[in-house]
This record gives sequence, structure tokens and C-alpha cells, in this order.
Amino acid sequence: MEQGEAGSPPPAEEKVGKEEEDDFGYRLFPERNKNPQSFLVRSLFTYHNKCQLMLRMTLETNPYAQLLLEAMKQSGCTVFNDRHFSCENCDACVGGGFDSATSQIVLCQNNIRHQSHMNRVVTHELIHAFDHCRAHVDWFKNVKHLACSEIRAANLSGDCTLMNEIARFKFGLKGHHQTCVRDRAIRSILAVRKVSRETAEKAVDEVFDACFNDLEPFGRIPHSKTDARRAFRDFQNRDRYNANL
Amino acid sequence: MADGGTWRPPRSCEDYWWEWKHCRGLRHAFHHYYAHGELPTCDRWREDYEACRAWEKGRAAAAQEALCKSERARVMENKKYAPVWRLRKSPPPDWYLPLDQDKPN
Repeated sequence: MEQGEAGSPPPAEEKVGKEEEDDFGYRLFPERNKNPQSFLVRSLFTYHNKCQLMLRMTLETNPYAQLLLEAMKQSGCTVFNDRHFSCENCDACVGGGFDSATSQIVLCQNNIRHQSHMNRVVTHELIHAFDHCRAHVDWFKNVKHLACSEIRAANLSGDCTLMNEIARFKFGLKGHHQTCVRDRAIRSILAVRKVSRETAEKAVDEVFDACFNDLEPFGRIPHSKTDARRAFRDFQNRDRYNANL
Repeated sequence: MADGGTWRPPRSCEDYWWEWKHCRGLRHAFHHYYAHGELPTCDRWREDYEACRAWEKGRAAAAQEALCKSERARVMENKKYAPVWRLRKSPPPDWYLPLDQDKPN
């Protein structure tokens, strides 16, 4: 499981007709509600420093992240590295998550080893953060809202490039991007919510068309950094665009 | 639409040219087929570029109209599905709150 999406648990609610408490994915991020480790332990015995360096590289140089940061700033949610990002140890199968309760993006320092992976995780979680910033997303009670954000994140972050899919031994060409987006959205929902696979699939299917075609703030599906740079340029020129329609 | 006196094309003509060239490229064709299951159609970008150039040369009203119509159609295509969620009018109130204040009591 690449990304999870965490949130603080409200009083236990029925999700699928059972009185089962949903941890909302918190089990994947065991350091979320703990006191932070000491500086020495963190520096010597974890990948914390490497995570911070890679994060900084992403935020300063990656066009996907830069566009999202600018879009969030325009929406009133300026992102500050030390407030809105947290490098932590997580469960083995997770790359990162967005904690809407604390407005933080969690990056799994023990699972992100390469810069390209960091770029993708940061982009993915920034898309969740962007959705949280611009819309009333009910992360905890509305599976369709969660599904929509997961579809958008899988679609726009580069999660589903052909190379990434081949590396996962998933082969396909014609329209395979949509198959990948759908599957990854379902997996993400199942990782962080106690719902059945049928419920997750139904939610994804119901919102797929609307959310796959919601390309904000990119305006296109960015298949490369060139596309992302062009999307950033279009975003910066949007005032001219809207004024002359 | 903005006043005729201050109107200019929504994108620069170089941008229309770039989009047309990019659309016709092999890499984009592959990505479009991979994402949508069909090859892209690029004629609209060429028409928009020609309209942009025509407007630049002679301030032709027909060119302006054609360009506006094409871009509005693009915007409408993006809005054809009902939104899943309600957009905010202001950012979340706790976005900037210090972390220890976010923790529930």
C-alpha cells in the first residue's frame, strides 16, 4: 500500500452495519499521536534527515509540487515546511498520508528511499491537501469524497505512469491509466477505512467520471515534468485566460 | 467577454502553437492512448492558433469570436460533470493553528 490517508477518530460510528471502530488508517502511522523522538535518536537512528533533505529538494525543484503549492497559496492555504509536513516512521506498506485533523502531510521516512518516490508521494498528498483547502471534503463520513480525492491523486501525481505500473507487474496499454487509477483509489480506501471492497468499488465507480475529469489545478493530466511546467505556466496566466473568455 | 477595446486572446499565440505541436507529437499520442484509450485530435489547437494569428494581424472580429467560442467550449467540457463536493468560500479555519492546539482535549 503506497499511500494512506489518516485522520483523528471521531466517536465510533457505524460504517457497514457493524459496531466496529474504524481507526481511519491511524494504525499505519503509529508515530502520529506520540511525542516526537529526541533530536539525537532521530538523527542517528532514523532516516529523518534524509527525508527532510529530499522533501526540500521536491518543494524547491519539482514542478508538480510547485504548482500545487502556488495553487494552495492562492486558495488561502500557504504551506509551511515545518508546520504542514512531518517525516515519520510508518507501517511497512505506506508511503505517506494526509492528516486532515492536523492539516499535516505525513511522509514515511522509512519507506521513501529515492527522490523520485518522494516527488510522487509529496505530489499525491498535496493533492489531498489542496482538495481539503478548496472544498468541504468529509474525509471521515463520506466514502465518495474520499474516493474522489484518491482518484484525483492517483490520476495527477504520476502514480499510474506506464513505468510505475510495469514495475508493479501490472501490464496494459489502451486506457490502462484509468484502470490503474481506479484500482489504486480502491486500495487506498480499503487501507484507511473499515468498509467492504464492494462499498469501496461502488463509491469509486459512482464518482469516477466526475473526479477523473477534475484536473484542478493542473488543467491537464501531467505525464511528465514538461507537462507540469506547462500547467504551472497556464496556472500563472489564468487571470488573462479568464478575463478574455 | 471583455470589452472589444481591451480584449486579447486568452492565451498567447505561441501557447496555441506549442499546444498544437505538443498534441501532434508521438509522446503525447502515446500518453493520450494510455490515459483515454484513443488517439488525440489536434485540429482544434491549429484552428485556435490560426484564429489568434488572424486577430493579431487584422483584429478580425470573426477570429476573436471563434477563439472565444473554442475556449468557452473547452471550459464547458471540463464542467460537464456535477461536482462531488461543495467548494469552500474560505480556507479551513485550522490550517494555520499550531500543532498542539489541534490535538483534541
